[in-house]
Amino acid sequence: MAQGSKVYVLGGYQTDFARNWTKESKHFSALMRESVVGALEATGIAPEEVESAHVGNFAAELYCMQGHLGAFFTEVHPAFSGLPTGRHEAACASGSIALLAASAEIEAGRYDLQAVVGIEQMKTVDSGTGGSYLGTAAWYEDEAEGVEAPFPKLFGRLGDEYDKRYGLKDEHLAEISRLNYDNAKLNPNAQTRTWYMNKEHALCRTDDNPAIGGRIRIADCSQVTDGAVTVFLASRDYAEKYAKGMGKKLSDIPRIKGWGHNTARLRFDDKIAESQGAEYTLPHVRSTITSAMKRAGIADVNGIDGIETHDCFTTSEYMAIDHFGITKPGESWKAVEEGWLEIDGKHPINPSGGLIGAGHPVGATGTRQLLDSYLQVTGTAGNYQVEGAKNFQTLNIGGSGTTSVSFIVGV
Amino acid sequence: MSSDSLSPARLRELVKSRAIERVVVLGANGTMGYGSAALFTTAVPHVTFLARSKAKADEGLQSAIDQVRSPTVASRSATGSYDDLEAVLANADLIFEALTEDFAIKKEMFDRVEKARRPDSIVATVTSGLSINALCEGRSDSFRQNFLGLHVFNPPNEIVGTELIPGNDTDPDLVDFVEAFARVRLGREIIRTHDTPAFAGNRVGFKLLNEAAQLAEQVGPVLVDRLVGPYTGRAMTPLATIDLVGWDIHRAIVDNVYELTNDEAHETNKLPGYMARLMDQGTLGNKSGAGFFKKDGKTRLALDPASGDYKPEADVVLPNLDYIDDVARLHAQGRYAEGMSLFLGADGDEAAMARKVIAGYISYAFHRVGEVTDTIDGIDRIMATGFNWAPPSVLVDVMGAKASVELIERSGLPVPKVLEAAVASGEPKAFFHHPTLNTGKFFVAG
Repeated sequence: MAQGSKVYVLGGYQTDFARNWTKESKHFSALMRESVVGALEATGIAPEEVESAHVGNFAAELYCMQGHLGAFFTEVHPAFSGLPTGRHEAACASGSIALLAASAEIEAGRYDLQAVVGIEQMKTVDSGTGGSYLGTAAWYEDEAEGVEAPFPKLFGRLGDEYDKRYGLKDEHLAEISRLNYDNAKLNPNAQTRTWYMNKEHALCRTDDNPAIGGRIRIADCSQVTDGAVTVFLASRDYAEKYAKGMGKKLSDIPRIKGWGHNTARLRFDDKIAESQGAEYTLPHVRSTITSAMKRAGIADVNGIDGIETHDCFTTSEYMAIDHFGITKPGESWKAVEEGWLEIDGKHPINPSGGLIGAGHPVGATGTRQLLDSYLQVTGTAGNYQVEGAKNFQTLNIGGSGTTSVSFIVGV
Repeated sequence: MSSDSLSPARLRELVKSRAIERVVVLGANGTMGYGSAALFTTAVPHVTFLARSKAKADEGLQSAIDQVRSPTVASRSATGSYDDLEAVLANADLIFEALTEDFAIKKEMFDRVEKARRPDSIVATVTSGLSINALCEGRSDSFRQNFLGLHVFNPPNEIVGTELIPGNDTDPDLVDFVEAFARVRLGREIIRTHDTPAFAGNRVGFKLLNEAAQLAEQVGPVLVDRLVGPYTGRAMTPLATIDLVGWDIHRAIVDNVYELTNDEAHETNKLPGYMARLMDQGTLGNKSGAGFFKKDGKTRLALDPASGDYKPEADVVLPNLDYIDDVARLHAQGRYAEGMSLFLGADGDEAAMARKVIAGYISYAFHRVGEVTDTIDGIDRIMATGFNWAPPSVLVDVMGAKASVELIERSGLPVPKVLEAAVASGEPKAFFHHPTLNTGKFFVAG
């Protein structure tokens, strides 16, 4: 497959995912503004340098009664008026789809510097309404309409499928929850950094940890989050100039070494029917991961120093463990038991806290994963730094394993 | 966000340098006691709640469980009375004192602690006002070297800002360890302060709160809370904050500061007479059901400080405050600098009154540097993470140093030298340096 000009990552900015922008009486535009201005300040990029912007967002029309989000980018700074912008949507993978589009434009040589904004404001509605909105990431009429908490149920069924094929223990899911919450405590932007959680609590079968849908309980879930993350992607020419200005070498600037992107059939039942007899439960997710590795020239997960994966539920992280090839299919529990996933383990997963710990502002998750990967490979992740990380891989999933995108960011 | 002296690697090294397996909380039935005990259970396998009786300690444990909504607190905890003190302290790595804010009561307890503790155990007090040096005066070298203040704010599971106050003899390595442990294992934002009355946060914060209470006597609580409201950089309005904290706590803090300090804003720390009078009649804020405000069904009533009577907030006639709505509209779009600029230029006595309070906050904070903390950074971080207010440096950065100096001058208050220097030289460009702390959150659009 063709890969044109290299794509460099210059850094960016994440808003504090613990914030509730509705309680601050803020409009959607404030969230975008803070993330973009923050990214300009963090990178030292002048607004006049930005050539184009891509916005990743799932459902602002529902949550905020606001569409045409690309245009909001021009509201941030007078220099942005007139820039080419657009909005991308692929449910929870929206942020990564925006990144793919921006990087494709750089590869094609259209632009040298792109802003990519992942954004979602979700605390505008109650949890029941929000759950129903999220249901539009599934086949709404078939899988979500009239169903309370449709996504916890769908990912509960992913756990059931694992249980059927290989066996699955609650304690391993609880351990995944515990680890994400523990890592989140080290992340100053994580939504749950002050929350009370431990493995024993995640295993509680009482009202303190209520069942949400199927085998999914509250401790298994990612969060309802307001947040935005802006990153800057650049061509080699721009990155070279940028590095020089910063007193760095081009080789110090991380780049997107590989990417993967697949879309499976929308209904969960259809995906599972397709994978009967296959090696992996969600073969298209596996393909996304391996095609990113292939493009990066990395043989397998042993060439990856850490992972930011899409733990919308503990079952999705459990699935990711074997799909990344950390264990054989069905043996994800081994990595959990052996402590391989810890920040100082053999295969760190979600040092940021992931979607369970750091939070899941749907459209921003893909850009958040990319920014965290950037922080890791530049050694600037602070207390959740994986020592000596050179290559980090993301996995961002929309729907019930439907749209998958993976990036490898490395120096 | 961190105090810069300890790098992430150094923090990890410090945390591993010593095990904290057993913590004993004294006064574990009080708000600070059980809240802190719950916090310790997040990182420590054995936490003992002690109180005057085992029943009281059990109540504390239940309150801890309720506060963090997890029954798992219990499996890491034991309870007992002070009869068990000597036996329990023999194994304690950290002894956390959260008794009533009374010097004699604490002193008596420390007499027993000193006899029973292991020589290497850490003794921390959660006092918000008493002197750390006075509390350990005359005690053994081992006690004084291992003694410090760890001022947690309430509720500790939500407010991460925590003041760390070493005494003159506290072992500097121990101070580093406690900072690392509190930051990495307990998720605290640690601000080191000097052993001065009310330390840093309450010294600066309650000065503004008390000034608001003084103004309420002139213009009434409704207008004061509107003028010094969310748009000026805080989630909760000042007088509602005093009601939440409790008038008795407010009085204890400002009386202590007024008695023991004599700074340039001395009179703003003097408790208004009407508050003392109403407290005599039982007015204590939310805990007594009435303060500056009270609820009558769904109607919010506001106090008339002169008469002590209440009337519906909606019946209070306010002057034209359109400028606040205009500022809020800008804040709502994240245009905070434009919002604050509009505030600085707003006409009328009311806007001027609000500006004087904000000018006073900035001026007072910067003048406390060297006295309560080494740098403005400590004051900034405790105001951000302990009070959830826009830190003084953030206000200066958002308004600009020049406009901030003009604001303070126009209000007839002393201008901090560093601000004058910044205007003269153009440096520093920014006073606040915590890239992960979102300063926009303080400018609430209301």
